[in-house]
Amino acid sequence: MNSCTDCRHFAQAPADVEAAFPGLWSLSSAYASVRADDGICTVHDRYVAASSVCAQYADAGRASTCTRQS
Amino acid sequence: MVEIADHPPARPAAVTSLWGELFRKEDWWAIWIGLGLVAVAVSLFASGGSLKWIAVAPQKWSHAADVALQLRQHAPQYAALFVLWAASFGIGAATLGIKLSRYLPAFLVLYIGTGAIYFLGLWDQSAHYNLEPPLVALGLGLLLSNTVGVPRWLDPALRVEFYIKTGIVLLGAGLPLTLIAWAGPVAIVQAAIVSLTTFGVIYVSAVRLGLDRRLAATLGTGGAVCGVSGAIAVGGAVGAKKEHVSIAISLVVVWAVVMIFVLPLAARSLGLSTGVAGAWIGTSEFADAAGIAAAQTYGGYAGNVPGISGGADAAVTAFTLMKVIGRDMWIGVWAFVLSLIATTRWENTGVQGRTGVGEIWRRFPKFVLGFLLASAVIAVLSRGYSYAEYKKDVIPGLVAPLQALRTWAFTFAFLSIGLTTRLREFVAVGARPFYAFTIGVVVNVAVGFVLSTRVFGEFWNRLGQ
Repeated sequence: MNSCTDCRHFAQAPADVEAAFPGLWSLSSAYASVRADDGICTVHDRYVAASSVCAQYADAGRASTCTRQS
Repeated sequence: MVEIADHPPARPAAVTSLWGELFRKEDWWAIWIGLGLVAVAVSLFASGGSLKWIAVAPQKWSHAADVALQLRQHAPQYAALFVLWAASFGIGAATLGIKLSRYLPAFLVLYIGTGAIYFLGLWDQSAHYNLEPPLVALGLGLLLSNTVGVPRWLDPALRVEFYIKTGIVLLGAGLPLTLIAWAGPVAIVQAAIVSLTTFGVIYVSAVRLGLDRRLAATLGTGGAVCGVSGAIAVGGAVGAKKEHVSIAISLVVVWAVVMIFVLPLAARSLGLSTGVAGAWIGTSEFADAAGIAAAQTYGGYAGNVPGISGGADAAVTAFTLMKVIGRDMWIGVWAFVLSLIATTRWENTGVQGRTGVGEIWRRFPKFVLGFLLASAVIAVLSRGYSYAEYKKDVIPGLVAPLQALRTWAFTFAFLSIGLTTRLREFVAVGARPFYAFTIGVVVNVAVGFVLSTRVFGEFWNRLGQ
Protein backbone atom coordinates (compact mmCIF):
# COMPACT_ATOMS: atom_id res chain seq x y z
CA MET A 1 0.00 0.00 0.00
CA ASN A 2 1.38 3.41 -0.96
CA SER A 3 2.18 5.84 1.81
CA CYS A 4 1.25 9.50 2.19
CA THR A 5 4.66 10.53 0.81
CA ASP A 6 3.47 10.07 -2.78
CA CYS A 7 -0.13 11.14 -2.26
CA ARG A 8 -1.44 14.27 -3.94
CA HIS A 9 -3.37 15.18 -0.79
CA PHE A 10 -0.24 15.29 1.34
CA ALA A 11 1.44 18.70 1.86
CA GLN A 12 4.83 18.27 3.45
CA ALA A 13 6.99 21.07 2.01
CA PRO A 14 8.43 23.01 5.00
CA ALA A 15 7.09 26.33 3.71
CA ASP A 16 3.58 24.86 3.46
CA VAL A 17 3.79 23.37 6.95
CA GLU A 18 4.97 26.67 8.46
CA ALA A 19 2.21 28.55 6.63
CA ALA A 20 -0.37 26.13 7.99
CA PHE A 21 0.79 26.42 11.60
CA PRO A 22 1.15 30.04 12.73
CA GLY A 23 3.71 30.32 15.52
CA LEU A 24 5.62 27.20 14.49
CA TRP A 25 8.64 29.17 13.31
CA SER A 26 8.70 31.35 16.46
CA LEU A 27 10.19 28.63 18.63
CA SER A 28 10.71 25.71 16.25
CA SER A 29 10.91 25.06 12.55
CA ALA A 30 9.45 22.95 9.78
CA TYR A 31 13.05 22.34 8.65
CA ALA A 32 13.92 20.62 11.96
CA SER A 33 14.90 16.97 12.23
CA VAL A 34 12.18 16.33 14.83
CA ARG A 35 9.51 16.96 12.17
CA ALA A 36 10.94 14.15 10.06
CA ASP A 37 8.80 14.19 6.89
CA ASP A 38 5.40 14.74 8.48
CA GLY A 39 2.85 16.73 6.57
CA ILE A 40 -0.78 17.70 6.30
CA CYS A 41 -3.35 15.30 4.91
CA THR A 42 -5.86 17.55 3.19
CA VAL A 43 -8.43 14.77 3.01
CA HIS A 44 -8.56 13.99 6.72
CA ASP A 45 -7.37 17.44 7.82
CA ARG A 46 -4.75 15.81 10.01
CA TYR A 47 -1.03 16.22 10.54
CA VAL A 48 0.42 12.79 9.83
CA ALA A 49 3.68 10.93 9.34
CA ALA A 50 4.79 10.48 5.73
CA SER A 51 4.82 6.72 6.20
CA SER A 52 1.09 6.61 7.03
CA VAL A 53 -1.44 4.95 4.73
CA CYS A 54 -5.15 5.36 4.06
CA ALA A 55 -7.87 4.22 1.69
CA GLN A 56 -8.15 7.62 0.01
CA TYR A 57 -4.61 7.54 -1.41
CA ALA A 58 -4.29 9.25 -4.78
CA ASP A 59 -1.01 9.20 -6.62
CA ALA A 60 0.51 12.66 -6.90
CA GLY A 61 0.76 12.20 -10.65
CA ARG A 62 -2.93 11.38 -11.16
CA ALA A 63 -6.16 13.27 -10.71
CA SER A 64 -7.94 12.71 -7.43
CA THR A 65 -10.90 10.36 -7.36
CA CYS A 66 -11.71 10.56 -3.67
CA THR A 67 -13.97 12.93 -1.84
CA ARG A 68 -12.92 14.98 1.09
CA GLN A 69 -14.15 13.81 4.50
CA SER A 70 -15.50 16.23 7.06
CA MET B 1 -3.29 31.58 7.93
CA VAL B 2 -2.82 29.70 4.65
CA GLU B 3 -5.52 27.12 4.01
CA ILE B 4 -3.61 24.39 2.29
CA ALA B 5 -6.60 22.08 2.55
CA ASP B 6 -8.26 23.74 -0.43
CA HIS B 7 -5.29 23.40 -2.75
CA PRO B 8 -3.08 20.61 -3.95
CA PRO B 9 0.48 20.71 -2.59
CA ALA B 10 2.33 23.58 -4.23
CA ARG B 11 5.66 21.80 -4.06
CA PRO B 12 6.57 18.19 -4.71
CA ALA B 13 7.15 16.01 -1.67
CA ALA B 14 10.79 15.87 -0.65
CA VAL B 15 12.63 12.68 -1.33
CA THR B 16 13.71 10.92 1.83
CA SER B 17 17.27 9.68 1.78
CA LEU B 18 20.12 9.59 4.23
CA TRP B 19 22.32 11.83 2.09
CA GLY B 20 19.49 14.18 1.28
CA GLU B 21 18.75 14.59 4.97
CA LEU B 22 22.29 15.91 5.55
CA PHE B 23 21.50 18.98 3.45
CA ARG B 24 17.75 19.53 3.73
CA LYS B 25 17.40 19.73 7.50
CA GLU B 26 18.57 22.76 9.43
CA ASP B 27 19.87 20.56 12.27
CA TRP B 28 22.56 19.32 9.91
CA TRP B 29 23.30 22.81 8.62
CA ALA B 30 23.74 23.97 12.20
CA ILE B 31 26.31 21.20 12.57
CA TRP B 32 28.12 22.06 9.32
CA ILE B 33 28.30 25.76 10.23
CA GLY B 34 29.10 25.28 13.93
CA LEU B 35 31.67 22.53 13.46
CA GLY B 36 33.08 24.32 10.41
CA LEU B 37 33.80 27.37 12.54
CA VAL B 38 35.30 25.16 15.26
CA ALA B 39 37.50 23.45 12.65
CA VAL B 40 38.73 26.79 11.26
CA ALA B 41 39.38 28.07 14.80
CA VAL B 42 41.36 24.95 15.70
CA SER B 43 43.39 25.09 12.47
CA LEU B 44 44.27 28.73 13.00
CA PHE B 45 45.14 28.11 16.66
CA ALA B 46 47.34 25.13 15.79
CA SER B 47 49.27 27.29 13.31
CA GLY B 48 49.81 30.08 15.84
CA GLY B 49 46.87 32.25 14.75
CA SER B 50 43.36 32.83 16.05
CA LEU B 51 39.81 33.43 14.87
CA LYS B 52 39.52 36.41 17.19
CA TRP B 53 40.04 39.07 14.50
CA ILE B 54 36.78 38.19 12.78
CA ALA B 55 34.95 37.13 15.97
CA VAL B 56 34.60 40.78 16.90
CA ALA B 57 32.36 41.76 19.80
CA PRO B 58 31.46 45.11 21.40
CA GLN B 59 33.38 46.13 24.51
CA LYS B 60 32.12 47.94 27.62
CA TRP B 61 31.30 51.60 26.95
CA SER B 62 30.05 54.65 28.85
CA HIS B 63 29.26 57.31 26.23
CA ALA B 64 27.94 57.29 22.68
CA ALA B 65 31.35 58.55 21.53
CA ASP B 66 32.89 55.28 22.78
CA VAL B 67 30.53 53.32 20.54
CA ALA B 68 31.39 55.47 17.54
CA LEU B 69 35.09 54.95 18.24
CA GLN B 70 34.70 51.17 18.53
CA LEU B 71 32.75 51.05 15.27
CA ARG B 72 35.36 53.16 13.45
CA GLN B 73 38.26 51.11 14.76
CA HIS B 74 36.67 47.73 14.03
CA ALA B 75 34.61 48.53 10.92
CA PRO B 76 36.50 46.05 8.68
CA GLN B 77 35.99 43.32 11.28
CA TYR B 78 32.25 43.96 11.57
CA ALA B 79 31.99 43.92 7.78
CA ALA B 80 33.97 40.67 7.57
CA LEU B 81 31.84 39.11 10.29
CA PHE B 82 28.69 40.02 8.35
CA VAL B 83 30.13 38.34 5.25
CA LEU B 84 31.02 35.24 7.29
CA TRP B 85 27.54 34.89 8.79
CA ALA B 86 25.74 35.86 5.58
CA ALA B 87 27.71 33.28 3.59
CA SER B 88 27.30 30.53 6.20
CA PHE B 89 23.61 30.98 6.93
CA GLY B 90 22.85 32.09 3.37
CA ILE B 91 24.22 28.89 1.83
CA GLY B 92 22.33 26.85 4.42
CA ALA B 93 19.10 28.76 3.87
CA ALA B 94 19.43 28.52 0.08
CA THR B 95 19.90 24.76 0.27
CA LEU B 96 16.81 24.54 2.48
CA GLY B 97 14.85 26.31 -0.26
CA ILE B 98 14.92 29.93 0.88
CA LYS B 99 15.89 32.25 -1.97
CA LEU B 100 19.32 33.78 -1.35
CA SER B 101 18.24 37.03 -2.98
CA ARG B 102 15.48 37.35 -0.36
CA TYR B 103 17.55 36.05 2.55
CA LEU B 104 20.57 38.36 2.31
CA PRO B 105 18.87 41.80 2.50
CA ALA B 106 16.72 40.59 5.37
CA PHE B 107 19.75 39.16 7.17
CA LEU B 108 21.59 42.48 6.82
CA VAL B 109 18.78 44.17 8.80
CA LEU B 110 18.85 41.38 11.39
CA TYR B 111 22.65 41.71 11.71
CA ILE B 112 22.46 45.48 12.25
CA GLY B 113 19.64 45.10 14.80
CA THR B 114 21.53 42.36 16.62
CA GLY B 115 24.70 44.47 16.68
CA ALA B 116 22.78 47.40 18.19
CA ILE B 117 21.34 45.15 20.92
CA TYR B 118 24.77 43.59 21.56
CA PHE B 119 26.24 47.09 22.02
CA LEU B 120 23.38 48.14 24.31
CA GLY B 121 24.07 45.14 26.56
CA LEU B 122 27.67 46.36 27.01
CA TRP B 123 26.63 49.83 28.19
CA ASP B 124 27.99 50.27 31.73
CA GLN B 125 24.48 51.28 32.90
CA SER B 126 22.64 48.39 31.20
CA ALA B 127 22.46 46.26 34.37
CA HIS B 128 21.12 49.25 36.29
CA TYR B 129 18.24 49.59 33.82
CA ASN B 130 17.77 45.80 33.37
CA LEU B 131 18.74 46.06 29.69
CA GLU B 132 19.83 42.44 29.35
CA PRO B 133 20.33 41.75 25.60
CA PRO B 134 18.00 38.71 25.43
CA LEU B 135 15.15 40.62 27.06
CA VAL B 136 15.77 43.76 24.99
CA ALA B 137 15.87 41.73 21.76
CA LEU B 138 12.72 39.86 22.67
CA GLY B 139 10.84 42.88 23.99
CA LEU B 140 11.73 45.05 21.02
CA GLY B 141 10.82 42.30 18.57
CA LEU B 142 7.48 41.62 20.29
CA LEU B 143 6.66 45.31 20.37
CA LEU B 144 7.39 45.79 16.67
CA SER B 145 5.69 42.64 15.44
CA ASN B 146 2.53 43.21 17.49
CA THR B 147 2.09 46.94 16.90
CA VAL B 148 3.43 48.42 13.66
CA GLY B 149 4.13 44.99 12.20
CA VAL B 150 7.18 43.49 10.54
CA PRO B 151 7.56 43.83 6.76
CA ARG B 152 7.19 40.45 5.07
CA TRP B 153 10.48 40.85 3.21
CA LEU B 154 12.25 40.40 6.56
CA ASP B 155 10.72 36.96 7.13
CA PRO B 156 13.31 34.87 5.22
CA ALA B 157 16.04 35.79 7.72
CA LEU B 158 13.99 35.20 10.88
CA ARG B 159 15.08 31.59 11.42
CA VAL B 160 15.06 31.24 15.22
CA GLU B 161 15.90 27.55 15.32
CA PHE B 162 18.65 27.75 12.73
CA TYR B 163 20.51 30.35 14.80
CA ILE B 164 19.88 28.78 18.20
CA LYS B 165 21.04 25.34 17.05
CA THR B 166 24.19 26.80 15.52
CA GLY B 167 24.80 28.65 18.80
CA ILE B 168 24.35 25.43 20.79
CA VAL B 169 26.89 23.62 18.61
CA LEU B 170 29.33 26.48 19.26
CA LEU B 171 28.45 26.30 22.96
CA GLY B 172 29.75 22.73 22.95
CA ALA B 173 33.24 24.07 22.20
CA GLY B 174 33.19 25.92 25.53
CA LEU B 175 31.99 22.98 27.62
CA PRO B 176 34.53 20.35 28.68
CA LEU B 177 33.47 16.84 27.70
CA THR B 178 34.22 15.74 31.27
CA LEU B 179 31.64 18.23 32.55
CA ILE B 180 29.02 16.87 30.17
CA ALA B 181 29.84 13.31 31.27
CA TRP B 182 29.74 14.33 34.96
CA ALA B 183 26.54 16.40 34.90
CA GLY B 184 24.71 14.68 32.04
CA PRO B 185 23.36 11.71 34.05
CA VAL B 186 22.03 14.01 36.80
CA ALA B 187 20.36 16.19 34.16
CA ILE B 188 18.79 13.11 32.56
CA VAL B 189 17.41 11.86 35.90
CA GLN B 190 16.00 15.26 36.90
CA ALA B 191 14.58 15.93 33.45
CA ALA B 192 13.01 12.47 33.28
CA ILE B 193 11.18 13.02 36.59
CA VAL B 194 9.88 16.41 35.47
CA SER B 195 9.01 15.30 31.93
CA LEU B 196 7.07 12.20 33.00
CA THR B 197 5.24 14.11 35.75
CA THR B 198 4.34 17.06 33.52
CA PHE B 199 3.25 14.88 30.62
CA GLY B 200 1.11 12.78 32.94
CA VAL B 201 -0.56 15.82 34.49
CA ILE B 202 -1.34 17.49 31.14
CA TYR B 203 -2.49 14.26 29.49
CA VAL B 204 -4.77 13.17 32.36
CA SER B 205 -6.15 16.71 32.81
CA ALA B 206 -6.89 17.00 29.09
CA VAL B 207 -8.61 13.62 28.88
CA ARG B 208 -10.62 14.33 32.07
CA LEU B 209 -11.71 17.61 30.47
CA GLY B 210 -13.02 15.60 27.54
CA LEU B 211 -10.33 16.43 25.00
CA ASP B 212 -9.21 14.10 22.22
CA ARG B 213 -6.36 11.77 23.28
CA ARG B 214 -4.17 12.83 20.36
CA LEU B 215 -4.57 16.47 21.36
CA ALA B 216 -3.81 15.49 24.97
CA ALA B 217 -0.58 13.77 23.89
CA THR B 218 0.44 16.69 21.67
CA LEU B 219 -0.16 19.18 24.47
CA GLY B 220 1.64 16.90 26.93
CA THR B 221 4.86 16.58 24.95
CA GLY B 222 4.76 20.29 24.11
CA GLY B 223 4.78 21.06 27.82
CA ALA B 224 6.97 18.24 29.04
CA VAL B 225 9.66 17.57 26.45
CA CYS B 226 10.68 20.21 23.95
CA GLY B 227 7.98 22.78 23.38
CA VAL B 228 6.80 23.44 19.84
CA SER B 229 9.26 20.87 18.48
CA GLY B 230 7.81 18.27 20.84
CA ALA B 231 4.29 19.19 19.81
CA ILE B 232 4.93 18.85 16.07
CA ALA B 233 6.97 15.65 16.50
CA VAL B 234 4.27 13.89 18.50
CA GLY B 235 1.40 15.57 16.63
CA GLY B 236 2.73 13.99 13.43
CA ALA B 237 3.58 10.66 15.03
CA VAL B 238 0.08 10.15 16.43
CA GLY B 239 -1.77 11.77 13.49
CA ALA B 240 -3.37 14.66 15.41
CA LYS B 241 -5.97 16.92 13.84
CA LYS B 242 -4.40 19.92 12.14
CA GLU B 243 -6.29 22.39 14.34
CA HIS B 244 -5.12 20.52 17.45
CA VAL B 245 -1.47 20.96 16.49
CA SER B 246 -2.15 24.68 16.02
CA ILE B 247 -3.70 24.85 19.49
CA ALA B 248 -0.67 23.17 21.06
CA ILE B 249 1.74 25.49 19.21
CA SER B 250 -0.15 28.61 20.32
CA LEU B 251 -0.23 27.53 23.98
CA VAL B 252 3.45 26.55 24.04
CA VAL B 253 4.64 29.79 22.40
CA VAL B 254 2.59 32.06 24.65
CA TRP B 255 3.65 30.27 27.85
CA ALA B 256 7.28 30.02 26.71
CA VAL B 257 7.46 33.77 26.04
CA VAL B 258 5.83 34.51 29.42
CA MET B 259 8.39 32.25 31.13
CA ILE B 260 11.33 34.06 29.51
CA PHE B 261 10.42 37.04 31.69
CA VAL B 262 8.98 35.24 34.74
CA LEU B 263 11.63 32.59 35.48
CA PRO B 264 14.68 34.93 35.69
CA LEU B 265 12.68 37.40 37.79
CA ALA B 266 11.47 34.67 40.16
CA ALA B 267 14.96 33.15 40.46
CA ARG B 268 16.41 36.61 41.08
CA SER B 269 13.90 37.41 43.82
CA LEU B 270 14.80 34.09 45.47
CA GLY B 271 18.54 34.78 45.15
CA LEU B 272 19.28 31.49 43.37
CA SER B 273 22.82 30.84 42.17
CA THR B 274 23.36 30.84 38.39
CA GLY B 275 23.82 27.05 38.25
CA VAL B 276 20.61 26.33 40.18
CA ALA B 277 18.60 28.91 38.22
CA GLY B 278 19.89 27.46 34.93
CA ALA B 279 18.79 23.97 35.98
CA TRP B 280 15.36 25.27 36.99
CA ILE B 281 14.95 27.11 33.69
CA GLY B 282 16.12 23.95 31.90
CA THR B 283 13.38 21.88 33.48
CA SER B 284 10.64 24.50 33.31
CA GLU B 285 11.07 26.36 29.99
CA PHE B 286 9.48 24.79 26.95
CA ALA B 287 11.73 25.65 24.02
CA ASP B 288 15.51 25.85 23.55
CA ALA B 289 15.54 29.40 22.23
CA ALA B 290 13.22 30.69 24.96
CA GLY B 291 15.19 28.90 27.66
CA ILE B 292 18.56 30.15 26.48
CA ALA B 293 17.14 33.69 26.44
CA ALA B 294 16.02 33.26 30.06
CA ALA B 295 19.25 31.54 31.16
CA GLN B 296 21.54 34.08 29.45
CA THR B 297 19.52 36.87 31.07
CA TYR B 298 20.08 35.29 34.47
CA GLY B 299 23.78 34.74 33.77
CA GLY B 300 24.00 38.47 33.14
CA TYR B 301 22.95 39.08 36.77
CA ALA B 302 26.10 37.38 38.09
CA GLY B 303 28.44 40.05 39.34
CA ASN B 304 25.87 42.78 38.68
CA VAL B 305 23.07 41.90 41.10
CA PRO B 306 23.96 41.51 44.80
CA GLY B 307 23.29 38.02 46.17
CA ILE B 308 23.50 36.15 42.84
CA SER B 309 26.44 33.75 43.11
CA GLY B 310 28.09 31.60 40.44
CA GLY B 311 29.70 32.25 37.09
CA ALA B 312 27.90 34.08 34.27
CA ASP B 313 28.13 31.08 31.94
CA ALA B 314 26.83 28.60 34.54
CA ALA B 315 23.17 29.43 33.90
CA VAL B 316 23.42 28.67 30.16
CA THR B 317 25.59 25.60 30.87
CA ALA B 318 23.13 24.12 33.39
CA PHE B 319 20.20 25.00 31.13
CA THR B 320 21.79 23.33 28.12
CA LEU B 321 22.67 20.15 30.00
CA MET B 322 19.16 19.91 31.41
CA LYS B 323 17.25 20.83 28.26
CA VAL B 324 19.37 19.41 25.45
CA ILE B 325 20.80 16.32 27.14
CA GLY B 326 17.97 15.73 29.61
CA ARG B 327 14.92 16.47 27.47
CA ASP B 328 15.47 17.19 23.75
CA MET B 329 17.43 14.01 23.03
CA TRP B 330 14.49 11.81 24.02
CA ILE B 331 11.81 13.23 21.72
CA GLY B 332 12.22 10.31 19.30
CA VAL B 333 11.48 7.84 22.09
CA TRP B 334 8.37 9.80 23.11
CA ALA B 335 7.18 9.93 19.50
CA PHE B 336 7.79 6.20 18.97
CA VAL B 337 5.99 5.11 22.15
CA LEU B 338 3.03 7.43 21.64
CA SER B 339 2.64 6.50 17.96
CA LEU B 340 2.62 2.84 18.99
CA ILE B 341 -0.11 3.52 21.56
CA ALA B 342 -2.08 5.65 19.08
CA THR B 343 -1.96 2.91 16.44
CA THR B 344 -2.88 0.04 18.74
CA ARG B 345 -5.06 1.57 21.47
CA TRP B 346 -6.77 4.75 20.31
CA GLU B 347 -9.70 5.16 17.97
CA ASN B 348 -9.17 4.80 14.22
CA THR B 349 -8.91 8.10 12.36
CA GLY B 350 -8.93 6.73 8.83
CA VAL B 351 -5.18 7.24 8.55
CA GLN B 352 -3.07 4.28 9.62
CA GLY B 353 0.33 5.06 11.13
CA ARG B 354 3.16 2.61 10.44
CA THR B 355 5.53 3.14 13.28
CA GLY B 356 8.89 1.49 13.97
CA VAL B 357 11.97 1.97 16.11
CA GLY B 358 13.50 3.93 13.21
CA GLU B 359 11.23 6.74 14.40
CA ILE B 360 13.65 7.35 17.29
CA TRP B 361 16.53 8.21 14.95
CA ARG B 362 14.40 9.98 12.34
CA ARG B 363 13.18 12.49 14.94
CA PHE B 364 16.43 12.71 16.90
CA PRO B 365 17.48 16.39 17.10
CA LYS B 366 20.73 15.93 15.19
CA PHE B 367 22.27 19.23 16.25
CA VAL B 368 22.93 17.56 19.64
CA LEU B 369 25.58 15.49 17.85
CA GLY B 370 27.32 18.70 16.77
CA PHE B 371 27.20 20.01 20.35
CA LEU B 372 28.88 16.83 21.64
CA LEU B 373 31.40 16.70 18.79
CA ALA B 374 32.44 20.33 19.31
CA SER B 375 33.11 19.55 22.98
CA ALA B 376 35.08 16.43 22.02
CA VAL B 377 37.25 18.32 19.51
CA ILE B 378 38.27 20.92 22.10
CA ALA B 379 38.82 18.17 24.70
CA VAL B 380 41.22 16.32 22.38
CA LEU B 381 43.08 19.51 21.49
CA SER B 382 43.40 20.57 25.14
CA ARG B 383 44.95 17.31 26.33
CA GLY B 384 48.49 18.52 25.82
CA TYR B 385 47.99 21.66 27.91
CA SER B 386 48.27 22.16 31.66
CA TYR B 387 45.39 24.00 33.34
CA ALA B 388 47.49 27.19 33.55
CA GLU B 389 48.38 26.97 29.85
CA TYR B 390 44.74 26.26 28.99
CA LYS B 391 43.63 29.44 30.78
CA LYS B 392 46.48 31.53 29.37
CA ASP B 393 46.53 30.31 25.75
CA VAL B 394 43.60 28.09 24.78
CA ILE B 395 40.77 30.16 26.24
CA PRO B 396 41.71 33.56 24.75
CA GLY B 397 43.07 32.17 21.48
CA LEU B 398 40.51 29.48 20.74
CA VAL B 399 37.52 29.26 23.07
CA ALA B 400 36.74 32.97 23.58
CA PRO B 401 36.35 33.76 19.84
CA LEU B 402 33.96 30.83 19.49
CA GLN B 403 32.03 32.12 22.51
CA ALA B 404 31.75 35.55 20.85
CA LEU B 405 30.36 33.91 17.70
CA ARG B 406 27.95 31.92 19.88
CA THR B 407 26.66 35.16 21.44
CA TRP B 408 26.01 36.60 17.97
CA ALA B 409 24.11 33.46 16.93
CA PHE B 410 22.02 33.46 20.09
CA THR B 411 21.18 37.15 19.73
CA PHE B 412 20.07 36.61 16.10
CA ALA B 413 17.67 34.04 17.56
CA PHE B 414 16.40 36.24 20.42
CA LEU B 415 15.55 39.10 18.08
CA SER B 416 13.93 36.65 15.65
CA ILE B 417 11.70 35.20 18.41
CA GLY B 418 10.20 38.60 19.10
CA LEU B 419 9.80 39.47 15.43
CA THR B 420 8.05 36.16 14.61
CA THR B 421 5.74 35.98 17.64
CA ARG B 422 2.69 37.63 16.08
CA LEU B 423 -0.10 37.02 18.53
CA ARG B 424 -2.92 38.01 16.18
CA GLU B 425 -1.95 35.12 13.87
CA PHE B 426 -2.39 32.50 16.57
CA VAL B 427 -5.50 30.35 16.63
CA ALA B 428 -8.05 30.60 19.43
CA VAL B 429 -7.21 27.75 21.79
CA GLY B 430 -10.42 27.34 23.80
CA ALA B 431 -10.78 27.08 27.56
CA ARG B 432 -10.24 23.35 28.08
CA PRO B 433 -6.85 23.04 26.31
CA PHE B 434 -5.77 26.20 28.13
CA TYR B 435 -6.72 24.76 31.53
CA ALA B 436 -5.08 21.39 30.85
CA PHE B 437 -1.83 22.97 29.67
CA THR B 438 -1.77 25.58 32.42
CA ILE B 439 -2.18 22.95 35.15
CA GLY B 440 0.86 21.24 33.62
CA VAL B 441 2.83 24.50 33.59
CA VAL B 442 2.16 25.04 37.31
CA VAL B 443 3.20 21.49 38.22
CA ASN B 444 6.23 21.67 35.91
CA VAL B 445 7.50 24.89 37.49
CA ALA B 446 6.91 23.63 41.04
CA VAL B 447 8.50 20.19 40.57
CA GLY B 448 11.40 21.72 38.61
CA PHE B 449 11.98 24.20 41.41
CA VAL B 450 12.03 21.55 44.15
CA LEU B 451 14.38 19.28 42.19
CA SER B 452 16.73 22.11 41.17
CA THR B 453 16.96 23.79 44.58
CA ARG B 454 16.41 20.97 47.09
CA VAL B 455 17.03 17.50 45.68
CA PHE B 456 19.91 18.36 43.31
CA GLY B 457 20.58 21.91 44.56
CA GLU B 458 24.07 21.19 45.89
CA PHE B 459 25.06 19.61 42.58
CA TRP B 460 23.91 22.54 40.44
CA ASN B 461 25.52 24.98 42.87
CA ARG B 462 28.87 23.24 42.47
CA LEU B 463 28.54 23.32 38.68
CA GLY B 464 28.19 27.09 38.90
CA GLN B 465 31.35 27.66 40.90
